[in-house]
Amino acid sequence: MRKKTYKLCLAAILTVTLTTGCGEGKSSTETEEAQGTSEETANDSTGQKNSVIVAMGTNSEPESGFDPAYGWGAGEHVHEPLIQSTLTVTTTDLTIDYDLATDMQVSDDGLTWVVTIREDVKFTDGEALTAEDVAFTYNTVKENSSVNDFTMLKEAKAIDSTTVEFQMERPYSIWPYTMAIVGIVPEHAYGPGYGENPIGSGRYIMKQWDKGQQIIFEANPDYYGDTPKMKQVTVVFMDEDAAYAAVMAGQVDLAYTAASYSSQTIDGYQLLAYESVDNRGFNLPAVPASRDADGNAIGNDFTSDVNVRRAINIGIDRQEMITHVLNGYGTEAYSVCDKMPWYNDKAEVSCDREAAKALLDNAGWVVGADGIREKDGIRAEFNILYPSNDSVRQALAADTQNQLKELGINASIEGVGWDSAYTRALAEPLMWGWGAHTPMELYNIYHTLEGGMAEYSPYANASVDQYMDEALAATSLEESYELWQKAQWDGTTGITQEGDIPWIWLCNIDHLYWARENLMVAEQKLHPHGHGWSIVNNVDQWEWKGTDF
Amino acid sequence: MIRLNGRIKTVVLFGIAIIFLIVVTMVGAFFSEAAMVTDFSRKDLAPGARYLFGTDWLGRDMFIRTLTGLSMSIRIGILAAGVSSVLALLLGTLAATMGKAVDAAITWVIDLVMGIPHILLLILISYAFGKGFKGVVIGVALTHWTSLARVIRGEVLQLKEALYIQTAKKLGVSNAQIAWKHMFPHLYPQFLVGLILMFPHAILHEASITFLGFGLPPEQPAIGVILSESMKYLAMGRWWLALFPGLFLVLTVILFDVAGESLRKLLDPGSVHK
Repeated sequence: MRKKTYKLCLAAILTVTLTTGCGEGKSSTETEEAQGTSEETANDSTGQKNSVIVAMGTNSEPESGFDPAYGWGAGEHVHEPLIQSTLTVTTTDLTIDYDLATDMQVSDDGLTWVVTIREDVKFTDGEALTAEDVAFTYNTVKENSSVNDFTMLKEAKAIDSTTVEFQMERPYSIWPYTMAIVGIVPEHAYGPGYGENPIGSGRYIMKQWDKGQQIIFEANPDYYGDTPKMKQVTVVFMDEDAAYAAVMAGQVDLAYTAASYSSQTIDGYQLLAYESVDNRGFNLPAVPASRDADGNAIGNDFTSDVNVRRAINIGIDRQEMITHVLNGYGTEAYSVCDKMPWYNDKAEVSCDREAAKALLDNAGWVVGADGIREKDGIRAEFNILYPSNDSVRQALAADTQNQLKELGINASIEGVGWDSAYTRALAEPLMWGWGAHTPMELYNIYHTLEGGMAEYSPYANASVDQYMDEALAATSLEESYELWQKAQWDGTTGITQEGDIPWIWLCNIDHLYWARENLMVAEQKLHPHGHGWSIVNNVDQWEWKGTDF
Repeated sequence: MIRLNGRIKTVVLFGIAIIFLIVVTMVGAFFSEAAMVTDFSRKDLAPGARYLFGTDWLGRDMFIRTLTGLSMSIRIGILAAGVSSVLALLLGTLAATMGKAVDAAITWVIDLVMGIPHILLLILISYAFGKGFKGVVIGVALTHWTSLARVIRGEVLQLKEALYIQTAKKLGVSNAQIAWKHMFPHLYPQFLVGLILMFPHAILHEASITFLGFGLPPEQPAIGVILSESMKYLAMGRWWLALFPGLFLVLTVILFDVAGESLRKLLDPGSVHK
């Protein structure tokens, strides 16, 4: 009997270790891999002070390689493409500067852009970069891009070797922001395998790519700009916990991390926090509940009341949320584009629970016996969806739930996969993450589509639409900034507190990194959504302090 | 000192196991609301007098969460194992009594299901049914019946040739009556023990697929969810997030096994005089 029980225990423990072992196994192999890579590169660069190993998340590895047509640099998470050059670049204050371009002109009707480029630029295979390559690149991305919208471009043409002309389908004043994310590829060396063997004219050359593990970049010796100070950059891909373990073991020089790790201290490393417009917020469907042609639920009877949305916006204590969920590493968010040149600061509100309650009371939402408000048989409740693998958004949803309870609103939270999230968000609030270096994001979120409603959450305001259309038709960026701001709030209508407030913005998440104490990371521009490649935008300017390393 | 004989010891063991499991199930179900409550003012606390198992990064009480998770696991286990064993009884009996063609077909299905790795089939079924509670229950139910069905088929085949069944047949007793009066009492112990011994499998598999992200949704207090969430925090030294829920899962599984084994002994005619 006793022997049997003992055997049983052993069997059960084994089974459980097997069950729970899967995840542990994964991260430990990853750590081992990381170890392998770091040893390798450390051996290569012994005694050198100009190489760096950076750890990024596993989903930062570009699936389709380094081809701008398939999302490298562009797409959902924008960053500088490093291997390729771009015509323009965004500056630290998110205005536009030149990279390849030397001048750009737009016609009065906004339908023709003429850009002149530098003459002295060569691809890393020795061929010169000409306007032909630029035109080829843009025509290619227009044809093939799976991640970006290039429908505004009709055609790109090379007029001579240094002048390229873009013919537009419709005016698109923020074209310079698009030019900042499209890496120029060589016409003579572009083909199906380009993503894995990219040739560009940028600061770095991709030397080696071990899929699933690491990518090694080496400085381009013929780069036309300032010579990169970091001669070798190794990027390793690992999960958050593995990256943390790699830092503890001293295997990487800089690693991404999350707020939940921020209370830790690691000898020899410091925690770097960079502000971002990587915002989190949730949508509030602004139309009453119904069903669309496919039978999907659209709209929400509770959140379709504008006073409800206004009450929620001022009933949320954003600072408390940042302290609770982000350990203080974040900034309050009031729009999808905080601190950008096109941001309208009229969006800012301060938390006032009493005013929020009064708004709800006046709108007829009366507190019932169970503390939850009600009006005409409709209960003040909804479900907040969040992507099920994102613990930060889960925590934000949970904190929102707790805060709304104080207003007499009953929220529940539910984790969902992205396969169903987009459809369900048309009827229920979803915890989103946005933030890009282009005003187009405002357009994507608030502008209506052909069906008469905005894409991600049902909402429509003709005046908001019109300002954004005018902004795109503007002939200068400065003029367009003003119109983008008016789209947010023009004094009478808009998407802010006094307007329709169809989205509630909560916080911008600081991007956190463990970095060796003697690594001098260059000044960062406001990071966009995506805690990945942005950090190495200017890795060429990083330096090691002191000589002991 | 009273010396208990083997049989009484077994009864006591069985009783303790069953009582523990019932209490966990009921207490867990009672606290299911409280297990979802988040409170950021008490996050990341180590185990102490107030929070026996500590709290997690959302300030959820891990003791309540563990109990609720186990309760959920046990309920899923009961439902899935129940369905699975009825399926096994039905298919096992059909295979043995309905002739060669049916036997071949059912044996083929059993081989097919057994031939595919359990966890893979579970994930596929659970995913196809939209994950969540429904997906897990259907997944576990549809994958765990095979070995019990085999045992029952073998038993029935053997019984069919038994002298008393043959006699009953010759006496003109109907098939249904033979099955109910003569075969079922014989199969009953096998079935019951098979059912109870299926629980640990069902519970572990529920935890596994939930751990892998194909089972219960992440806001549910399920052991699989708790363990997979805890992975991230182990490196930061929050050992309590994984240790206690893991231990309790092991304990539950062992107790089900003890209960099943005890029951087998009690029902085994050979143990009457122990």
